[in-house]
Amino acid sequence: MKNLLSFFKGNTPATVGTIIVLVFVLLSVLAPWITPYDANKRVARGHQPPSAEYIMGTTRSGKDVLSQVIYAGRISLLVGFGAGLIATIIAVLVGITSAYAGGRVDAFLMFVTNVFLVMPGLPMIIVLAAFLGQVGPLSIALILGLFGWAGGARVLRAQALSIREKEFVTAAEVIGESKWRIVIVEMLPNMVSLIVGTFAGAALGAVMGQAALEFIGLGDPTVISWGTMLQWAQHNSALIVGAWWEAIVPGIAIALFAGGLTLFNMGMDQVSNPQLKGSKNLKRWKVLNDELEAQRKAKQAANKGKSHDGVMPV
Amino acid sequence: MTELANQQAETLLDIRGLSVEYLVGDARLRAVDKVSFTVNKGETVGLAGESGCGKSTLAFALAKLHKPPALIAEGEVLYKGRDVLSFDDEELRRFRWKETSVVFQSAMNCLNPVISVNAQICDVLSAHHPEMNRGELQDRARELLKVVGIHPDRLDQYPHQFSGGMRQRAVLAISLALKPQLIIMDEPTTALDVVVEREIMDQLSELKKQFGFSILLISHDLSLMGEITDRIAVMYAGKLVEIAPSEEVLFNPQHPYTKGLVNSFPHLLGEKKELTGISGNPLNLYSPPAGCYFEERCPERIERCKSTDPALITLNPQHKAKCHLLG
Amino acid sequence: MGRFLGSRLLFYIAAFMVAVTFNFVLPRMMPGDPFEIMFAAAQGKIQPEQMAVLKEQFGFVAGPWHVQYWDYIKGIFSGDLGPSLTYYPTPVTEIISGALPWTVFLAGTSTLICLFIGILLGIFSAYNRGGKFDSIVAPALAFIGAFPQMVSAMLILFGLGVILNWFPVGYGYNPDVDAGWTLEFFMSVAYHAALPLLTMIICGIGGWLFLMRNSMINTLGEDYITMGKAKGLSTRRVMINYAARNAALPVVTAVAMALSFVVAGALIIELIYNYPGLGNEMLGAVASRDYPLLQGLLLIIVVCVLTANFIADLAYFWLDPRLRK
Repeated sequence: MKNLLSFFKGNTPATVGTIIVLVFVLLSVLAPWITPYDANKRVARGHQPPSAEYIMGTTRSGKDVLSQVIYAGRISLLVGFGAGLIATIIAVLVGITSAYAGGRVDAFLMFVTNVFLVMPGLPMIIVLAAFLGQVGPLSIALILGLFGWAGGARVLRAQALSIREKEFVTAAEVIGESKWRIVIVEMLPNMVSLIVGTFAGAALGAVMGQAALEFIGLGDPTVISWGTMLQWAQHNSALIVGAWWEAIVPGIAIALFAGGLTLFNMGMDQVSNPQLKGSKNLKRWKVLNDELEAQRKAKQAANKGKSHDGVMPV
Repeated sequence: MTELANQQAETLLDIRGLSVEYLVGDARLRAVDKVSFTVNKGETVGLAGESGCGKSTLAFALAKLHKPPALIAEGEVLYKGRDVLSFDDEELRRFRWKETSVVFQSAMNCLNPVISVNAQICDVLSAHHPEMNRGELQDRARELLKVVGIHPDRLDQYPHQFSGGMRQRAVLAISLALKPQLIIMDEPTTALDVVVEREIMDQLSELKKQFGFSILLISHDLSLMGEITDRIAVMYAGKLVEIAPSEEVLFNPQHPYTKGLVNSFPHLLGEKKELTGISGNPLNLYSPPAGCYFEERCPERIERCKSTDPALITLNPQHKAKCHLLG
Repeated sequence: MGRFLGSRLLFYIAAFMVAVTFNFVLPRMMPGDPFEIMFAAAQGKIQPEQMAVLKEQFGFVAGPWHVQYWDYIKGIFSGDLGPSLTYYPTPVTEIISGALPWTVFLAGTSTLICLFIGILLGIFSAYNRGGKFDSIVAPALAFIGAFPQMVSAMLILFGLGVILNWFPVGYGYNPDVDAGWTLEFFMSVAYHAALPLLTMIICGIGGWLFLMRNSMINTLGEDYITMGKAKGLSTRRVMINYAARNAALPVVTAVAMALSFVVAGALIIELIYNYPGLGNEMLGAVASRDYPLLQGLLLIIVVCVLTANFIADLAYFWLDPRLRK
């Protein structure tokens, strides 16, 4: 708990990012109690602009946009976190195996990782989904998870390699601890911040990927998610006919959630690379340094012509 | 370059009450505390002390090369009578390397890896002599490499193509490029093996004879220092604790810390003695004591050491030490 | 050139073969007759004897898998991707060569502009670390860059295209203008590309800015920077020749990784702006289940991304002398 507090202290990106993500999680969990209307039912005439009754307007088919966007968060978040979890598990397995096995296993796994990294993921997923027909949220999470692990695996491998060199791991090896024990007890706990970062990154990619797939029309159009909402808006030419709310509201929801995850990730970067942090301290340093410079300048001016006495007014 | 002798007493660099602090959280830690000493023209002065004693911090502050979170809190660095610390940016730029060059601790990391050695010699030449043309720059660069014993054909190579020793020589060549009057050397040979260290130190003595510059040599290695320095200053926990001619420091040290430091290195010649060293750990700057900073580790401490910090006592015009036992 | 570029080239060839294999395996993994799956949409449009030719062309011959695979690869490397089903009998390659320049133009131009501006701003941000730009503008750009491209595209289209009506919201150029090397055509292309390019730039800049900034901050701590300052070089020279030259290396590496995201972004943006590139063709192919076209598009996108990666490798090779022997 104390660790958690010190993590957020002075780490603005992480704090803001976490708050944004938590708000979305909370809204999704509470969806049945806080939505004003049934998200699946026609409750008014189509394309009603935002009003007191329909705070964010209605869709072309007369459904309440606010209720939809909150319910949609459930699916989008589930897919994002689910795919993130799958990708993270693969990344951890591949990264650590690669680092720990070395040799041919390492070379092979890294080849596969690099191929996945260099391949254009979205077009491949589109082709795959097109062959599958329309894909539901579960398949989308699975596909995105299977395509989203490579970046994380590479970073985790590098980290695992450097931890392997540390004394405590060497010591455990000398004592004769089993490899599994060493990995689980000694190495994993030291990789937590990177693993969390990998998860956030993969979840971010998955939320975006899901939205893209559904937007293109490869998702299940009967499921309410941010991506299908956008697809319907595009399908209904909502922006062109002036019903901006139908497109803008789910758009902003994805943007905010993605922005929150990005900020959280930036915060994690600061934890693993403290050099990037500390702008507050730096500001204090600048103020003090300027002060001292000014003092020297003033003294220099006062001493012009006089000899130095070597004492500084401080 | 034979007018060395009559310039011996002329002061080149006069450091007066220099303090450098590190801003850590809300605390300001004193890494260098009111240090004063001088470097004369043509003189080689050693600055010794264990790692973390502030000697490198001091070296960087001399050319105002300190970076955040370091702050120059007080003091003056008079170079030929003018305070370097109050120079404006352009004055400082012109002062750097032309008057005082710096040889960094690790030649491995102080050469820019992506531009050729040639470019790294030429850029400093043309920064201070914009009038030099391409041909002149090239000639000078080749000449400089020859001076430090690197074949001029290697001029267009990159740092990674040089061995460790060659890199340090290349750095030395760059430091000589503008014939500065003072070269600050921060542990110039620490990263090298003993044989290469030997070669470089010999070369340095040669070059010094040839060019007549002054050196401020920073090192933890007193025996290395003894070979080329005229005087040695010893620092402990940011304070200057003793300064004297080299033989005095090596064979007649007065401060208990200096004694410990001298005893932790074997003398090549001279009787076999047990190396005693200094027990205990370096001072924690977060909570400096009221009395002498060395008190906790001092084998000769007395009652007064705990309460009052001793002043730097002049034993003779050449020898000063900061200890109650001498007062 | 040496071993570095050679091994990279080998890797790209291997990666291309993986993509080819993906294409080959995909229809065969689905339940049912792969040929039926591939050509389900074309039933009725194509005569039975033409179907037989197609069958052979896509490697659906009788025989074990490795024979089929070999036939398929031979087909790919002879440069024939078969006919599109929706535009039958127009060859897939013809459709692709019509759409490819637009996407390459969009992705290439926006990446170059993003890199240029992002790197400059990153240097500025790192140099003025803790200043107003670094603590407010830079994170704001990163936050905006995190928005999915489709959202940014819709917002920009709505704002600048629909409400303000400053720029056209569809097509690559005005159809009244004849395509050719004329200024009028060129202006029309630039005018129509404005919104898609703007969207891609706004989406991309924050990422490059932060990458360069962080890389700069790490580099500024290096000894050779301090030595550069100690040498009395001008601040500009230290920042450009010493810091930025070194800090740019990880950025170039990242370009290679980001390319697949750039392509993904370009595809989506083309859809929203109805821009005549590969993305639009891909959407059409998905909608009509034109599998040969879809697979051809995938292969060509893979080739483009791999080529761009190789160009990034060449840039890295040129920037980092440590790779040369």
